[in-house]
Amino acid sequence: MGRVVTRAIFAVLWLIWLAPVYLLVVNAFRSTDEYAHASIWSPPHHFGLWANFVAAYHSAGLGGSLYSTALYAVVAPAIAVVVGALAGYAIIALRLRHGFAWFVLVFGGSIFPIQMLVIPLFVGYAHLDLYDHRPGLILIYTAVSVPLAAFIMRNFFTGISYSIYEAAVMDGASSWRIFYRIYLPLATTACAAIFILEFTFIWNDLLFGLTLSQSDSVRPVMTALSSLLSLYAGTTYNIVLAAMLFLSLPTMALFLCTQRLFARGLSLGQIG
Amino acid sequence: MTTVQAGRGPILAAARPSQGAPRWRPQPLLFASPAVLLVVGLLYAPFVWTAYLSFTSYDGLNPPQWTGLANYIGFFRDGILWVTVSNTLMWVAGTILLPVGLGLFVATVTYRSRWGTLLRLPFLIPYAVSGAGVAVVWGFVLQPHGALNEVLAFLHLPGGHASLLANRPVNTVVMIVASTWQQVGVNALLFLVGLQSIPEAPLEAARLDGADGWRLFRYITWPLLRPLTAVVVGLAIVASLKTFDVVWVLTQGGPGRSSETLAVTMYRDTFVANEYGTGSTVAVVLTVIAGIASVLYLRGQLSSRRTVEW
Repeated sequence: MGRVVTRAIFAVLWLIWLAPVYLLVVNAFRSTDEYAHASIWSPPHHFGLWANFVAAYHSAGLGGSLYSTALYAVVAPAIAVVVGALAGYAIIALRLRHGFAWFVLVFGGSIFPIQMLVIPLFVGYAHLDLYDHRPGLILIYTAVSVPLAAFIMRNFFTGISYSIYEAAVMDGASSWRIFYRIYLPLATTACAAIFILEFTFIWNDLLFGLTLSQSDSVRPVMTALSSLLSLYAGTTYNIVLAAMLFLSLPTMALFLCTQRLFARGLSLGQIG
Repeated sequence: MTTVQAGRGPILAAARPSQGAPRWRPQPLLFASPAVLLVVGLLYAPFVWTAYLSFTSYDGLNPPQWTGLANYIGFFRDGILWVTVSNTLMWVAGTILLPVGLGLFVATVTYRSRWGTLLRLPFLIPYAVSGAGVAVVWGFVLQPHGALNEVLAFLHLPGGHASLLANRPVNTVVMIVASTWQQVGVNALLFLVGLQSIPEAPLEAARLDGADGWRLFRYITWPLLRPLTAVVVGLAIVASLKTFDVVWVLTQGGPGRSSETLAVTMYRDTFVANEYGTGSTVAVVLTVIAGIASVLYLRGQLSSRRTVEW
């Protein structure tokens, strides 16, 4: 009896959760002509997805936005991984004095709400001519990615036997050489994990994009998407949905392939 | 000068003496400096500067004028305080209740099911969608005469002919539901990891004693999941206090200011009204509330854990 009730409730929930996904897909595929008169629940008769996306692409200037976001989401995590790895290496392998305090300082950067950062960043960026420029966004995306990168890399390096470091020193390798020839290659999986988590965070970011950019070519995609919604007077919803579907594909593919990773990243309090 | 810290292993203890007296090495700090500079320059410094600005009157153009507690007094006297704080608290309560509760439910039902992956898929897909994306999908579902209105009218439920984003507190509740649609999947995933780490022995023993279904869950699984539940609830509290994306894209805090959360009020005061001092004050209030909530929550968790331990 109890089991039947549980399953019935689950089935209802399952349908409720699927309904918006279904509505999203069928209406993103619907051509604008058809959207004007057909029921939103009916499957589309004509394939309009591509035309819808092209329409969104033009009205929100998505081209520059897509290029910029790809740049931010790849370059910033890549720098953050190396910077975080350097810090972890200094603390664990090079035995940085007061290493734990330095670590707490770096990781502590992750507890500030973004709301506490955006005002000075906005004003400072305006003064330094970084506002609405790509390097400015790369810089802040890198900085917010560093605490998690340092955390994961430090933990990872703790698992590498110190005798490896000593052996390399005996062989006359410099600290820098040991880092990029031994420690960094050993940590490929940790690097990939950081990269995936931060890529997703940056790709989905709205607030930094809203506050630190404005032009079509610099602002990140989610900011462009939200402007598309407020421009909605001139665009029908099927077009906005098509844009949203396209812009969600990269993170959706990444997430569905690496679910466990996200659960772990989230439990570090970093993503979301 | 160099101390051997506990937990660094015997290798170090054996190796140190052979190296002779430790030399002063600037290099380790050099390796750590990019991380330190980035974090201090772009996270700590703005944080401190925002805290300072919260005591000033500042329009972003002229230099900030020190006004003491004026912003705080103004904010606490302002009628908007009650609206934005109670909306934010609704978000916190709703996020603990819905995404966390349903996440546990989905994890428990699909755990060990042969079709587990397929059953979880509709819950996992929305998590990969950004806050702005969720707002777009739900803006479509919620639009006047849209999908949800149709369904409600068809089922003869209230709200079938009303605009669901037009009035407080319904608009906040509806947006919490939209956000739940996104959040359940990842909570289910976290609980699933927790369920898989529960040892088989106590479950088996309870089954032999005749426990099953609800009783098995209530007296065995749930207590064993407690540490993980603490993490999930803590994350939900902190994240929901900062709710911004969905609200900003769906209603911009409106109509009027009826659906504002603290994060939206902060953004609006700063970047729409150009009152940077007031915006900073709201950011500080938000941070303080988040800090207090985290500390209270951690303390509660620690003290209740002590009584459960045996």
